Formats: sequence, C-alpha cells, structure tokens
Amino acid sequence: MASIAQRRISSCLLGILFCLMGISLLSCSPPKETIYRKSMVLMDTLVTITVVTDSAEKAEKAIERAFGEVSKLDTLLNFFSEKSELSMVNRNAGLSAVRVSPETMEVLEKAIETSEKTGGAFDVTIGPEISQWNFPLKIKPEDESIKKRLGLVNYKLIQLDKGRSTVYLKKKGMLLDLGGIAKGYAADKAVEELRKNGIRSGIAAVGGEVKTFGRKPDGTAWKVGIKNPRPTGENDEILAMVELNDAAISTSGDYERYFILQGKRFHHILDPKTGFPAQGCQSVSIIAKDGVYTDAFATGVFVLGPEKGIALLERMGFGGLIVDKNGTIHTTAGLKGKIEFTTDH
Amino acid sequence: MSLRQTISATTPGDRLLLIFLLLVSCAGIVFIKDVLPSSGGVIIEVEGKTTHRYLLEQDRTVRVESPYGHLTVEIRGKKVRVINASCQNKLCEHQGWVGHGVIICLPARISVTVGVPDKSGDKRIDAITG
Amino acid sequence: MTQSQDNYRIALLSAYALALHAFESLIPMPIPWLRVGLANIIAITTFILFGFRSAMMVTLIRVVLASLFSGSFLGPGFILSMGGGVSSILAMGLVLSLTPGLFGPVGLSLIGALSHNLSQLFLAYILFIQKVEPVLIIAPFLILIGTITGTVNGLVADLLIKNLKNSQETIQDTVR
Repeated sequence: MASIAQRRISSCLLGILFCLMGISLLSCSPPKETIYRKSMVLMDTLVTITVVTDSAEKAEKAIERAFGEVSKLDTLLNFFSEKSELSMVNRNAGLSAVRVSPETMEVLEKAIETSEKTGGAFDVTIGPEISQWNFPLKIKPEDESIKKRLGLVNYKLIQLDKGRSTVYLKKKGMLLDLGGIAKGYAADKAVEELRKNGIRSGIAAVGGEVKTFGRKPDGTAWKVGIKNPRPTGENDEILAMVELNDAAISTSGDYERYFILQGKRFHHILDPKTGFPAQGCQSVSIIAKDGVYTDAFATGVFVLGPEKGIALLERMGFGGLIVDKNGTIHTTAGLKGKIEFTTDH
Repeated sequence: MSLRQTISATTPGDRLLLIFLLLVSCAGIVFIKDVLPSSGGVIIEVEGKTTHRYLLEQDRTVRVESPYGHLTVEIRGKKVRVINASCQNKLCEHQGWVGHGVIICLPARISVTVGVPDKSGDKRIDAITG
Repeated sequence: MTQSQDNYRIALLSAYALALHAFESLIPMPIPWLRVGLANIIAITTFILFGFRSAMMVTLIRVVLASLFSGSFLGPGFILSMGGGVSSILAMGLVLSLTPGLFGPVGLSLIGALSHNLSQLFLAYILFIQKVEPVLIIAPFLILIGTITGTVNGLVADLLIKNLKNSQETIQDTVR
C-alpha cells in the first residue's frame, strides 16, 4: 500500500496535470464563426449582404463598406437620377462625348460584349422604348410611338473611347438604361469590397441578383432559391433551389414589372428589335462566375427564348434554367442533378 | 449502475423535488408553445428605424407617416398590402397582397417587412433570386 | 484539519473542477450556451464532504480561473457564471441549514442547478436582454435541461462521495 505521502504527491501531480489540461483547453478555443446579415434599400431595391466571420466588428465594417460601394455605383449608374453619370451621357446623346468613371466604362464594355454574344437580344440602348411604358399605372405606348423610336435602339451606336475614358451616343434621343446589368455588377463589386475587408465567405444580394463566395460555417455551399414565376399560394413561391460555389445567379421574369390589358400580359423585358415585351419565357435564371454577366445574359436570353437561349448558354459555359411561356422547364446540361426542385416539376 | 442502486442513492426528498421540477418545466414548455404566435410578424420601418411591430394573426389597418410621405398598411387574413400611398409611382401599392417579403415605398422611405422566417428556415435558403 | 491541508484540498478540487469545465467546453453542442455543468459535480461533492466555505471557495476559484484562461474575465459570460455559481452554493447552503437530511446529493444538485439557472436568467434579463419575453420563453426549457443534468450530476457526485469516503476510511485505517 502506497504511503500517504506518495498518494498525496501523486494526486497532487494528477491535479496539476488536470489543471494544465484545463488551462490549455480553455485558452485554445478557436473563435466561432457565425453568419451576419444586414439589409438596406439602395439602387431602388433591397440589398442584403451576408457574411461569415468570427468578429461582429469585422462584419459591421465590411458590410458598411460594401453598402458604400453599392451606393457609389447607384449614383453613377442610376437612370432616374439627373445627377448620375449615366444621365449625363444620355443628355449629351448626339452632342458630345462624356467622361466617365472606370466603373461606368466597365459596365458599358460588358454590356456591349453581351449584346454581341446575344446578337442584340440584350441592348442597353433600350432606354427610349422602356421609358414610354409605365407599369404601375398600366400605361402602354401606341404602336406607332414604339416603331418610331426603334431606330434609336442599337448598341452599335455606342462609342467607347477607352483611352480617354469617354462615352458617346451617336444619335440624338438615344438613352442608355442599365437596369438589366447594373445590379449584377453591383453584386460583384460588393463581394470584391467584402473580400478586401477580410471576409472569406458571404453573399451579396442586390435585389434578385445574387453573388456568393466561400462556404457556410458548417462547410456546405450557399443555397439560393429561384422564385416560381406563377405561384399559386404560399407554399410554392420557390420553384427550385441551387447550391452555388463562388458563383452568381440572376433571374429575369415577366412577373417583376407588368400589367395585364385585355387578357394580355405586358412586362418590362422588351425585345430590342420590336420594342414589345419578349414572348418566349416566363423566367430565365443564369448561373455564371460574375453577376454582371448573369444579369445581362438573363435579360438577353429571355428575349432569345428557350431554344436559342439554352444553346447560347451551353456555348458560353453558363448554367441556365428557363421556364418557358407554357411553364415547361429547360435547363443547361451542366445543371442537371444540381437543382433541387421544390414542387413536382 | 442498476436502477435499484440509482434510486437508493436518492432520498425521498430528492425524488419529490425531481418529479416536481419535471412537471413544472414540462407544463411551462407546453404553455409557452400554446401562447407563442405561429406566424411571423409585420415590421414597419420609417427611414430605416422600426416604428411599428404587429402580428400577422390580427387584422388591422395602420396609417404610417414619414417626413417624406405616408401610406396605409392593411393586414388581413395573414397577408399585408399597402394602400393610399402618397408616392407618385405607387409601386408599393402595385405589389398587392403579400404573404412574406418586403414592400418598399421609396419616396416616402417607408418599408413593410412581412416575415415568416420559418419558411426559408425549413428549406435553409440563404438568398432568393427572381 | 490543518490550514494547509485545507488549502491544498481546495486547490486540488478547484483544479478538478476547472479541468472538468474545460473538458466540457470541448464537446460540440448545437446550442453553445447550454452546458451540462460537469464542474458542479465537484462543487456538490465538496459541499457535502467539506462544507459550505470550501464549496464556495472552489466555485469562486473555478469561475475566476476559467474566465481568465478563456479571456472572458469580467465579461458577460463571467458575470453570469459567477452569479450562477455563487447562488447555487448559497441555495444549497440555505436548504441544508433549513432542512438537514431531507435531500441527498441529487436533491442538492437539483437545487443548485435550479438556482443557478434562475439567477442566470435574472441577471441576463437585467443586464443584457431588457425584454422579458425571450427570457420567459426559454425559462421552462432551461429548467427542464437543468433538472436532467442536475440529476445526472447529483448521481455522479453521490458515487464520488461514496468512493472518497471508502478511500478515506482506508487511509484512516492505514494511519491507525
């Protein structure tokens, strides 16, 4: 039988061992990563930024910076604001070239690129047409009026001078409307800003233009729901869910801004060639690396229709989900198996 | 440790206390579950600050004013809509009855958030496009 | 019981309590602030074997050291731990002095756990969450969890006490 002294010493040592273990365990606990989310109204829509970080302060700061970036883009690209750079370019159509910021130049370059790839189905010079419509007040312009302005709709009439950083619209009366591309671009820039502020994972959602990067704290990918263009009740508002890994998704739908006149639906996605709402689809969702492209292509593919649209997306290597005018769903080959449909489709 | 040994480790006082606490806490949980509202709420914000909070369960009509305008929020049958808005484009009114989401009147700087957080919680959706 | 033996004992028990607390915080839990309270096993054992003062000392030392090592000293977590720990020992002392013999380790553990949870809820309400609703809503849930973990802790403490008493007798025998 061990002596009392020996027992004392061994229990003392055991105690010290426990103590040391306790100290090291307590002091080496890794900070827990959580999800922070904040929303703000900017660019005429709800902007929601989600970040994953272990520090509330870091989250606050990064989110504020990202909102600041979106706000800055809003003042540059807002069609409805007289003070925006875009409005200055529009006012000087047919008159003179206007100096613009690098951001505006980048958006216009990518817009023209999309116009070329979609054969003109996406065209930011649609301004003179879209401004004649008023969806809340159910105002449809006369057919004559629509035809008259078609001549002003042509992306090839945009002249960009990269060296001097200027934009010139060749015909008087031309109007650029960046509604189909600016939000996607803003989402990209917001994510860039979040990354610059040390965030490694999150989501920037500018209205329905969503860009994700990194993964959730539990290691799974961010999940984005696609709205059902024709929901019947509360339970089928979401058509499908898709997991995104460092990618963006945008959706163009005929249910966002529209009115119904004499049984016919008139919505805001106009075909640049006719000036009338494009007829082939109910909604188009595009998945690609950058929001600026998903936004622009969503609009362009909507105008192209399901067959041409899917073909183009396959060529571009983008993911796409199109709900055509009859409600049938078309997807690119790459997305098969990656989409979780919530209702029976 | 067998059940007999376990029980012998306790005094009658212990056992009484244990049963009492179990009953009280379970009763409390059941009570809470009944009283807790099942749907989400309606949050009205003016210039970003929350000014009103309502439950979807109760029908009501609320007039909301801001330095920039006004509108009336109607809650009925667990849905919400905006009427009599002072803004020009009436986009907010145009949204009609909303079960969940946000109705924003930009000119008046008023937003009405209809939240059913459980919905997206079920499917664990982090963002919505469309 | 000499002063140094007493101190030595308290230090040792505090170390065990601290180690149990640290070990417990390693276990991944879906709800982060929900703890089984393994360190309370030590507190109860100390209380029954060595009295109120020793138990209070062990608890105070454990709470302070744990918060120092995890960097949350004087933070909200520390205040809640302190409040909970102190009140549980006080409650046990109160009950034991009013009704000696009525409760065994399990009952005392339940009392300690109950008072620990209630005082934490109260402190959280006053200091951090001013709204009554969330506090009232999680209260029954917390008490239920506390009852279950309190029972388990009490049973383990009982085992521990019996074991220690046995080895104490053996030591006494050897000394004699």
